[in-house]
Amino acid sequence: MATVITDALCPFCGCVCDDLTIVTENNKIIEAKHACKLGAAKIMGHHRIKAPMMRKDKHSDFKEVSYDEAINEAAAILARSKRPLLYGWASALCEVHKKGILLAEELGAIIDNTATVCHGPSTLAVHEKGLPSSTLGQIKNRADVVVFWGSNPVQAHPRHMGRYSVFAKGFFSEKGRKGRKIIVVDVRKTETANIADEYIQVAQGSDYLVLSALRAILSGHADVVPAAVGGVSKEQLSKLVDTMKTARFGAVFFGMGLTQSKSRYKNIDNAISLITELNSFTKYVIMPMRGHYNVTGFGQVCSWETGFATAVDFARGAPYYNPGETAANDLLMRKETDAAMIIAGDAGAHFPADSVRHLAKIPVVQVDPYWNPTTEVANVVIPVAICGVEVEGTAYRMDGVSLRFRKMIEPTHPTDIEILEKITERVKEIRGE
Amino acid sequence: MQTVTIKPKKEIRISVEAENISPDKFAGKTEKDILSMEAWMGNHKTTLGELFSVMVEGSGPAADTKIVMDGDFSRIKRIGEGMTAGLIMIKGNVDMHLGAKMSGGKISVTGNVDSWAGREMKGGELIIEGNAAYYLGAGYRGETCGMRGGKITVLGSALDFLGEHMCGGEIIVKGNAGILPGLSNNGGKIVIEGNTSRPGSEMAKGTIIVNGTVDEMMPVFKAEGTEAVDGITYRKYTGDVIVNGKGVLYVK
Amino acid sequence: MELLIKNGAVYDPFNGIAGDKTDISIKDGKIVDKVSSSASVIDAGGRLVMSGGVDAHSHIAGAKVNVGRIMRPEDTRSGIKPRTKITRPYTGYTVPNVYAMGYRYAQMGYTTVFEAAQAIMKARHTHEELEEIPIIDKGALTLFGSNWPTMDYVREKNMDKLAAYVAWGLLASRGFGIKCVNPGGGEMWGFGKNVTGLDDVVPNFDVTPAQIIVSLMKANEMLGLPHSVHLHCNNLGKPGNYKTTLASMELAKQVKPSKDRQVLHVTHITFNCWGGTNWGDFESKADEIANYLNNSENVTTDMGQLIFGSATTMTADGPVQYANAKLLHAKWANGDVELEDASGVVPIFYARQVSIHAIMWAMGLELALLTKDPYKVLLTTDHPNGGPFVNYPEVIALLMSNKKRQEEIKTLHEAVHKRTKIPGIERELDFNDIAIMTRAGSAKVLGLLDTKGHLGVGADADISIYDIKPDQIDPSVEHAKIKSAFQSAAYTIKGGEVVVKDGQITATPMGRTFWVDATVPEEQTEIMMKDIRMKFKNYYSISLANYMVQDAYVTHPKVVKAGVIPVEVS
Ligand code: SF4
Ligand SMILES: [Zn+2]
Repeated sequence: MATVITDALCPFCGCVCDDLTIVTENNKIIEAKHACKLGAAKIMGHHRIKAPMMRKDKHSDFKEVSYDEAINEAAAILARSKRPLLYGWASALCEVHKKGILLAEELGAIIDNTATVCHGPSTLAVHEKGLPSSTLGQIKNRADVVVFWGSNPVQAHPRHMGRYSVFAKGFFSEKGRKGRKIIVVDVRKTETANIADEYIQVAQGSDYLVLSALRAILSGHADVVPAAVGGVSKEQLSKLVDTMKTARFGAVFFGMGLTQSKSRYKNIDNAISLITELNSFTKYVIMPMRGHYNVTGFGQVCSWETGFATAVDFARGAPYYNPGETAANDLLMRKETDAAMIIAGDAGAHFPADSVRHLAKIPVVQVDPYWNPTTEVANVVIPVAICGVEVEGTAYRMDGVSLRFRKMIEPTHPTDIEILEKITERVKEIRGE
Repeated sequence: MQTVTIKPKKEIRISVEAENISPDKFAGKTEKDILSMEAWMGNHKTTLGELFSVMVEGSGPAADTKIVMDGDFSRIKRIGEGMTAGLIMIKGNVDMHLGAKMSGGKISVTGNVDSWAGREMKGGELIIEGNAAYYLGAGYRGETCGMRGGKITVLGSALDFLGEHMCGGEIIVKGNAGILPGLSNNGGKIVIEGNTSRPGSEMAKGTIIVNGTVDEMMPVFKAEGTEAVDGITYRKYTGDVIVNGKGVLYVK
Repeated sequence: MELLIKNGAVYDPFNGIAGDKTDISIKDGKIVDKVSSSASVIDAGGRLVMSGGVDAHSHIAGAKVNVGRIMRPEDTRSGIKPRTKITRPYTGYTVPNVYAMGYRYAQMGYTTVFEAAQAIMKARHTHEELEEIPIIDKGALTLFGSNWPTMDYVREKNMDKLAAYVAWGLLASRGFGIKCVNPGGGEMWGFGKNVTGLDDVVPNFDVTPAQIIVSLMKANEMLGLPHSVHLHCNNLGKPGNYKTTLASMELAKQVKPSKDRQVLHVTHITFNCWGGTNWGDFESKADEIANYLNNSENVTTDMGQLIFGSATTMTADGPVQYANAKLLHAKWANGDVELEDASGVVPIFYARQVSIHAIMWAMGLELALLTKDPYKVLLTTDHPNGGPFVNYPEVIALLMSNKKRQEEIKTLHEAVHKRTKIPGIERELDFNDIAIMTRAGSAKVLGLLDTKGHLGVGADADISIYDIKPDQIDPSVEHAKIKSAFQSAAYTIKGGEVVVKDGQITATPMGRTFWVDATVPEEQTEIMMKDIRMKFKNYYSISLANYMVQDAYVTHPKVVKAGVIPVEVS
């Protein structure tokens, strides 16, 4: 018999659409209505790891083992480590993050999340400049100018435009798309640029310069700005400033095109300042286009538990934070990490080659529902239930609105929470506590 | 006069936090005292004696204490952190946070230093004969003030963000500097003998002199003609105009 | 579990006990008449005993607090303590982590703290943090002052719908009472604008701040909520705003209280008793506010005392925060919530030699010392706006010692002499006054006197013992001793359990979360819900089904019943 869950949440991207209708039958999801292709693919499932597995060294084949064996071995690996890393978390619920932080404290580990390879730089910029932002509904109801800078929602956040930013209609924006000016700033003409009213092409690595030029013009110093900056003519820059200034409510969404290019987080830093300064003229907000559905949630949980948003080093018992020193890749690149647990995030696919090479040399525990490139470098693999599909709990949308996932079907595997609790218990036993 | 000589006993891969290596901590202490001082290797609490051989000659206050370090210290962090007086002479490379928050005394290094050397430095002197990594003389994350006083000299090159949020003091780099030196400065002086890119962004106060080439100029400076400094003629710029900055940038 | 506290010098103003040697009996987390001979005994040895501290206005949890943490790692790195067998790590000064929040309050002898502002849409976040704050009991006030339904119903003069909306909003947010911040201004900030006074009309909604305040007060009394409307006035942060504050207080006369308490609590007076017309002629008008309080009966306030050093300002008053950021060239976070309210976070450093800061320091003290009845002025720093709550002992010492104040004044900008009255105020508060301002008064203002703020039979066994012998100390002279004793309680007892001994945490039980379940006739709710459903369909960016805070986020609830149909308090 089919069961229908309405207003279900999508556990894929940072939009966390909460209007899905899920149809299940015999504990299987047979339909995910309203979800985009990306979301539906995740919800409908793929490549599950069936049972816990272990292997002696990275060249031998995995052998299926019991959960207890895998948990004991995972705990032994982590407990003996002097520089353990607990990495991932973006595809897990906040309830999992709390257990992870507790384990990191117990181990004296570094805990870091996948933001380190996407929007981590945005957090560094927030330390410098803050973050003038709002919930997405403010944009839906009010925005008449929307800028996508180094972000491409058509590809990465398919329903963002319909629900929140481009086509969405609201109280002061009854005309939807017709009442909005959409501007794309990017190094290449993206799919989003194709549907925009205006596309501004910035030379590779020049975002920082362009942002400064815009700020100079906005602050009445157009005279010092040269004829062209970062491949954009001064005329075009001035026009953009005029368009932005005359908005009633403007919003800027930035993506990895800005966080991962030359000057990195300083690009965001500069963009935040531009938005702050625009608020002297009219209303503006800025928001990172967060990728994984709960990468924002990890930052929230980690902040209230430790005071720091991510990349927290518990080696000395008290939290210490300094990305550039304490982020996952900082340690891996220096070959300092001597054991790692990768959970709800793929390091194998997204880390620089040197980091992955080091992971291939040290003991690695993977906790994940899915087979992925991290599995290739793992020694112990512990499959778990899928958060947001088989496990209920909390996630934070890209604008910091927290939402509760309901369970769609019964899990066939233990949850991350259960696994983390057991590993923590076992670590305490090993340490004689 | 007290001289403390430190040599590594073994190769170290996991960085050691060793803020105890400082004239202030060693002054008046015996070999035994120093050997038992705390150090952290990752989450493992250890002692200086586990990692280093230590020899002490004489005894004296911090101002009369000299620490001679010979060997590879490229995985030893926080050497001389917060020191107020005395001397540290390092023959070799060192890890991050060398001389962070120091307010007096002098540290010299023959090799390279990793990031955040001279972080939030208030006084004293740091001489680096090799290269410096990122954030030389910068601040801590979120803090509005980096280096406030003292002097840092690098004979080699430095990477990005040197002197970020600098509020005072002086940094001289004989070689090249990475992007965005002197970012968000509010005082102090930076001299770069070699090349750099995007200097002085958001600078409110302070001076930056570049003797090499500037790869990319920030579009936020007002050209003020030329001016001679120490007999050399420079193009002079003031800015960053966005923050109504009174900073001065000289480019040869 | 039975416990007997013997030989305490008890200050329990609500029960008329002022320093008498009284024994306190505790059983099953409550104060009782007597206990059996097998009860464990704490000998207070003549030391000061009060009920656990109650803070009616502090920012301890939720979106803005966490934004403060995220934007201020430089703050987080201060006050760090590693974990112990009992405690998780402490971090931060102005924006502590959740653990430090609970531990530090408990170490000062506080056992109940209310978060002063949550938007309904972000209440889930508030509760996620409250759930992690150890030891103390807590609750959160819910923002209603710029919500679209509020303004619609005020314009339509439909009090039934407004009351139904408030009741539903409290349920949705698991909130304890009505917070109203810069009414109308939150909506206008949605387009970067603000209201400039009580009678400005909010565009598109056609209501004025005065109408919003009065209507919310009426709804509050219709529902018989334990607390009154809790108001952060319009024009906050602008010289001359004391007039707006007085005019707002005057509105309270239009409404009759449904209970023995105020109808309006005007919060953090330090930020809204400003005279002058600009920063040049800026001066304190705290005396005018005190004068008003001395001649009226239905308004209460809290100090929002300024503490020199680092602070983090955070409020739903979005426009004032942007003005602050510009003025201070400081980093700025803004967090507007669709259909509901605004918010902003800006770090600040209060310096003794900055005239405005010196004057502001005087304001909270003047208010407390010039207002005759301590029940009308609660002790707060509007944590962390005026400064972090860990400075309450400093404020207590200042209130109890003119000598200390005079010593302080010598270190301040000279403006404190010309622009404030503080140098000439000689009044020194006693332990009874302090017990009111930090316990009985806060509990009365919140409407929690049945179980909080006193030591009578039936009250929660929340008790603090301080290392002061009231009959052997002259607080005026020995103010340093007063301060250090209040910083670290000899004992803090929470629900009958010793949680702090000699300033150290000894146990970390979970406290409860207070929220108000107000009953409204079902038909009224149903009519109101039609509008709400329409707003979710067209304007909110989430579904109605995902809006309300679920039970999973309030695992230790303490539900206080209220409502149009009178229901007894559970
Ligand atoms: S846009 Fe994102 S959250 Fe929405 S359905 Fe697609 S993948 Fe899921
Ligand atoms: Zn407040």
